[in-house]
Amino acid sequence: MTEGDYRHIYVVVEHEEEKLLQVSLEMLGEARRILDDFNKKYSSKEKVVAILLGYNIKDISNILIQHGADAVVYADNLELRYVRNTIYTKTISHIASDRDVAAKIEQEYAAQFKRPRYMFFAADSIGRHLSATVLAHLESGLASDINKLVVGDLQITHQNKTGGKPLIYEKTLEMYRPDFSGFLWTTILCLDNRNPAMQKDYHPQACSMIPGVFDIIQPDPTREGKVIEYSPKFDEQDLKVKIVDRKIIKSEIDFDSYKAIVSFGRGVKDSPEQNIKMIEELASEIDAQIGITLPLSKKPFSVSQTVDSTYLIPDRVIGTSGRKVSPKLYIAIGISGAMQHIAGMKDSEFVIAINPDENSLMKDECDVFIKGRMEDVVPLLIEEIRKQNQVVQAKVT
Amino acid sequence: MDPLNVAVIVKLEPDFSEGNVSYNPDGTLNRAETKNILGPHSAIATSAAFYAKVKYGAKISIGTMGPPTAESMLQQAQLISDADELYLYSDRIFAGADTLATAEVLKSGVLKMQGKMDIVFSGHRASDGETGQTGPQTAWKLGMTFLGHVIDYEINPETRMIRAKRLIRLQGIYDVIEETEAPLPVFIAIDPSYKPKFNTVSQRLAYEKYQNEARQRVANFKQYLKVLNAAQLEADPKLIGISGSPTIVYKVERIPKGKAARQAEIIDGADQEQIRKVVARLRQSLSTMVIK
Repeated sequence: MTEGDYRHIYVVVEHEEEKLLQVSLEMLGEARRILDDFNKKYSSKEKVVAILLGYNIKDISNILIQHGADAVVYADNLELRYVRNTIYTKTISHIASDRDVAAKIEQEYAAQFKRPRYMFFAADSIGRHLSATVLAHLESGLASDINKLVVGDLQITHQNKTGGKPLIYEKTLEMYRPDFSGFLWTTILCLDNRNPAMQKDYHPQACSMIPGVFDIIQPDPTREGKVIEYSPKFDEQDLKVKIVDRKIIKSEIDFDSYKAIVSFGRGVKDSPEQNIKMIEELASEIDAQIGITLPLSKKPFSVSQTVDSTYLIPDRVIGTSGRKVSPKLYIAIGISGAMQHIAGMKDSEFVIAINPDENSLMKDECDVFIKGRMEDVVPLLIEEIRKQNQVVQAKVT
Repeated sequence: MDPLNVAVIVKLEPDFSEGNVSYNPDGTLNRAETKNILGPHSAIATSAAFYAKVKYGAKISIGTMGPPTAESMLQQAQLISDADELYLYSDRIFAGADTLATAEVLKSGVLKMQGKMDIVFSGHRASDGETGQTGPQTAWKLGMTFLGHVIDYEINPETRMIRAKRLIRLQGIYDVIEETEAPLPVFIAIDPSYKPKFNTVSQRLAYEKYQNEARQRVANFKQYLKVLNAAQLEADPKLIGISGSPTIVYKVERIPKGKAARQAEIIDGADQEQIRKVVARLRQSLSTMVIK
């Protein structure tokens, strides 16, 4: 690897019908912060490059520049109106390895340019799959569902990567990924093989980023950037994949129009069927929607078909793998407080947690912590709510 | 007209069901104590393949990369799908593979299955790794059209075209059901919400017939099983296992406990008086609404 082979952060932005998804701006914000530090530390001039595909989308470029992009490479074509994996993967991969594009971004080093240094995608329905196929095409590494990024010079000793010798990997992207339990953080690195026996470069270092985690930067209308057009070429065969219909639907579970949400987690385990019924009752008393934690969507209990298909479904998951909510009242029942869940409910106004374990992480994320077993506490709550409601009704009549 | 040739790639995963899953005191998964099973998303992918058998008389091959103990998981998958062939790709050299190197093994594995595949199914993501990358990467390496989040599909065996409905969740906006038409072969990552439907009498009869056949087959499942190592797969050693993995796990740490976001008032769940006060606050928080 020589200086100039790998440069810049390429960010694959997403939009729906020319409206940018929030996560696109979040990715640009994080790319901007990382690269500002990077350029200072390494006295470099690398760029944040947004990749934008679609139809009639050129105007979005300005918004991307205002939010941190130094350059926008866009491909505007009717065939790209909606995401189709094959043509999107090829177009993005071509842009990411094209020297003419690189020269328009920055003349210096363009002759050596091979690939982006880093590449960001959104960890959503579209970006997860696109990132996987683009990186399969570019034959490099990908970490998914990242919620923290750090650039560092790391000393690595690895049997395969370094042949067992300690080597310094400069400008390495440390990609932090919370595991499914929410308790462990795994740092993934994408490293070139420098072992002389099996040398191979792995660039870009790429990741998909969890929506809702990274901060958007304040848009600056005076920011300037390059807007670069790329004309994609398509294989006839690939265009035989056609989108024949597209319907917008509301999510099966509507959280947004409820003022209260009652959620439950693994704590229902002692008698899931009865406990879920009880939670259902509580929710109906205060007209709340019901949410669950991610582990519950893996259907860990045997319950009746109705309860299973009504409640233990991905559509109800609140957290980084599901929905982000901010109701006036959030009641967390039997929830330990894994980071992924907290990220989905932390903006709620008033939070009550019911949990027998005072040391649970949930305690630090609620306004009232009711210590006790849900089997004991929830019936008391229901009873008291009914009582107080009656008082009100009595006053009214 | 040749029958449809369908493959499923599946994964052995920790069983997260209560009683089988074991957690360490610090809340992390105790892998040694936790049983392993056919992953739930793999099971859904397998049932999507079975749909092709019932409806179109497809031939089904199931493959997995895993340790020798993954055999019984293939047996589980055969029971769901009445699979005609089972493949276990097992070699110590595969250990430590990231998604790209795993996809390379699975690609080689699918190519070693009998005949050219019309459809390859995978699950949405694994319950333990949760990257969801292996399916699409295998698809790309196979050069097949990739369709993710598929909730429903129909095939026209004459024209060899598939029509698939996909559920795309656009966070913060809305969900979209997209209907895609594509020539076979395709690679499908099946959505967790997929449910096969057998509407006609003849489909239900076929369903019964194949289910019975599946029960007989699993009794002697080894007769349908082929175990292949790296050499037999003719996989490029540079592209598999640790050698073929661009990524490494640099460190694993407990997620540090952040600063308490809120200062909780702690109350005793058995104290009726305190519960009364909580309910009053709870009602106040909702005060702009009419409580039933």
